[in-house]
Amino acid sequence: MDFQLSDDHRMLQDSLRGILTRHTGEGLWPALAEAGVIAALLTEDEGGFDGSGAAVALIFQELGRAGAALPLIPTMIAGAALAQAGHEVPEGTVLAFADAEPGTRYDRGVAIRADGDSLTGRKTMVAGAEDAAAILVTTADALWLVQPGAPGLTLRGYPMMDGQRGADLILEATPATRLGALSDFGRPLARGVLAHSAHALGTITAAVDLTLDYLKQRKQFGQPLISFQALAHRAADLAVEVEQARSAVVNLSGHLTADASLRDRHLQACKVTLGRVARLVAEESVQLHGGIGMTEEYALAGMVRRLMTADTAMGDADWHLDRFARGEPAWA
Amino acid sequence: MDMRFTPDELAFRDQVRAFLQTELDPELARKVRLHQHLTKDDMEGWHAKLHARGWLAGNWPTEFGGAGWTAIQRHIFEEESALAHAPRIVPFGIAMLGPVLQKFGSREQQDHWLPRILNGDDWWCQGYSEPGAGSDLAGLRCRAERQGDHYVVNGQKTWTTLGQYANMIFCLVRTSTEGKKQEGISFLLIDMTTPGVTVRPIVLLDGTAEVNEVFFDDVRVPAENLVGEENQGWTYAKYLLTHERTNIAGVGFATAALDNLHRVARAQIHRGRPLAEDPVFASEIAAVEIELMAMSTTNLRMLSAAAQGQAPGIESSMLKIKGTQIRQRLDALTRRAYGGHALALPATGNEGQPQDADEVLAATATWLNNRKLSIYGGSNEIQRGIIAGALAKG
Ligand SMILES: Cc1cc2nc3c(=O)[nH]c(=O)nc-3n(C[C@H](O)[C@H](O)[C@H](O)COP(=O)(O)OP(=O)(O)OC[C@H]3O[C@@H](n4cnc5c(N)ncnc54)[C@H](O)[C@@H]3O)c2cc1C
Repeated sequence: MDFQLSDDHRMLQDSLRGILTRHTGEGLWPALAEAGVIAALLTEDEGGFDGSGAAVALIFQELGRAGAALPLIPTMIAGAALAQAGHEVPEGTVLAFADAEPGTRYDRGVAIRADGDSLTGRKTMVAGAEDAAAILVTTADALWLVQPGAPGLTLRGYPMMDGQRGADLILEATPATRLGALSDFGRPLARGVLAHSAHALGTITAAVDLTLDYLKQRKQFGQPLISFQALAHRAADLAVEVEQARSAVVNLSGHLTADASLRDRHLQACKVTLGRVARLVAEESVQLHGGIGMTEEYALAGMVRRLMTADTAMGDADWHLDRFARGEPAWA
Repeated sequence: MDMRFTPDELAFRDQVRAFLQTELDPELARKVRLHQHLTKDDMEGWHAKLHARGWLAGNWPTEFGGAGWTAIQRHIFEEESALAHAPRIVPFGIAMLGPVLQKFGSREQQDHWLPRILNGDDWWCQGYSEPGAGSDLAGLRCRAERQGDHYVVNGQKTWTTLGQYANMIFCLVRTSTEGKKQEGISFLLIDMTTPGVTVRPIVLLDGTAEVNEVFFDDVRVPAENLVGEENQGWTYAKYLLTHERTNIAGVGFATAALDNLHRVARAQIHRGRPLAEDPVFASEIAAVEIELMAMSTTNLRMLSAAAQGQAPGIESSMLKIKGTQIRQRLDALTRRAYGGHALALPATGNEGQPQDADEVLAATATWLNNRKLSIYGGSNEIQRGIIAGALAKG
């Protein structure tokens, strides 16, 4: 066994860290594209040059630590799925993945239905939809491609918890291309879950580090907060959970190309673990900070909202725990 | 033992229900339920209706214009109000300053300030916390120096809830640096329109600005605005913390949150059926409900002990911890009930929001905002310290 990064991945990590210190906001996407970070999310078959679990985990962990809010996860999922279905993958641009539906936790096909080659209904929380060159849409059992300007398609945009913009998709007999059965796209979806989990891990470590720094620095009753055992023990519990989360990400990244049933168990275990740890860290890091932890101006605010997103996207801990317990595959 | 309300208490409950039915504007109740921004007018309007009925100050004795309710009546009022989604009574004048003035204020102070609280002439806010003095409140440094018949105040307060609406602030200020730090604190009433007072909003996690920083730069305060004796302010502040805490458990708020959670779980679809039918989720809801059943009775037991003259001790600390844990669990479950469509940001102004999402956004905003429950009013860690200290002594 070897848990070290390869030399290539170490270089990727270094260059990514450099970019993330130099660029925020607008300039970040082009910088990542130019440095090959976006292409590293896809395999050679998909038109990229890596796409391994290790690369995906390392890239999103760094992005999570830095608090980057870009629609890279849907772009990766959609790119991999389009390639697998034999479609051309639009290069250098945002792609969207429309999965969540209003009125249901994670069921698909409640608010949307297919009718021949068209889709009618609603999708929600679609990151990057307003800028996307292509939108992939799930129904009860299939994956579809919808063009941004397609007739009958309305977008309604809004800010999301993680700092990105999302949109509701309202489809009225909108023409769509069926890419295949949803169950055939287990790999791209698993890579998406890995990305969300690694991103969450990055945010988790950033939030825990910030909290530890604060506990050491903030004094009350003439002492640093960390000297109060009640608080020190809670910090210790967080450190233990961070390692659990890290291992859950390693497990999934190491089984991304394993056979479907083994991969899915790790996928579910990873999402359950990260979801739970993300919730715990969100709650505890605010509490351990006291009032300052609730303010928008302080760096923790964005982290807390991203941690809530991390649990919620692509099936939360409750959802995956349930399926794991029943021995069901990750996606119907 | 008799766990039933008396006929008088039941009659009182009917009166409260009837009042809420006729006086509470459904649009206002909707805003409260959906955690939407309440204007100053919204809050003052509700106070005025309660005042007209003689119910604004349930906790005050009748001699001061209060309703003189028993602890059980107050409990009934608070629970019914929460279930009807009435705005909560802004606590700073009614629940906090009023009782302190009644116990420690001069006759002149009582005659002047108490009626103004009731009729809405003054909006009070609470100036205790400072950047360096949160849990360690006695470490406060905002200074008041006596110069002739004035105090001159310099320093800063922070986390001042609704300070943006207030014209008056009651402050703990340092009047002496000698001896124990608790012994150099005074309780001062400051007019916020005095030159040298600056209020700056603090935006919180949920995008609202309900708290503020308040700065004092050579602010001249008439010496007659000192409550009680100089350097005795800590005693008055502690009186406030141990008394007047019937609603600390928030039973009414928790019950309303549980109702809402049940409703959401019936509406959300999970594996093709209402989420409420999912045995795992249903048992999570049940577990909180069971906690709430016990806490409600703990609350009533403690209220009735207090009514029989037993001095309040660590009970309020226990209720604070359990009450906030229950509410935060309910908030978390409600968000979880929404699952994959609870990712939008609440309070975004005109940058857009998802369709028909008022309730989901409310769940997110409530989760974010209610982190405060376990932080303010003496954090849950500080409450555990108080309980543990008493147990170790006992
Ligand atoms: C939304 C909101 C509204 C508020 N409104 C008001 C208001 O209107 N007026 C006002 O005066 N104040 C107000 N407060 C301030 C509130 O009372 C303080 O935030 C609170 O006392 C905690 O202080 P702190 O934020 O400085 O945290 P700190 O005291 O720095 O505490 C940080 C963490 O350390 C823990 N801790 C501290 N000391 C110990 C110890 N000895 N043992 C174990 N754990 C410890 C705390 O529990 C907390 O988890 C408000 C706060 C919030 C968040």
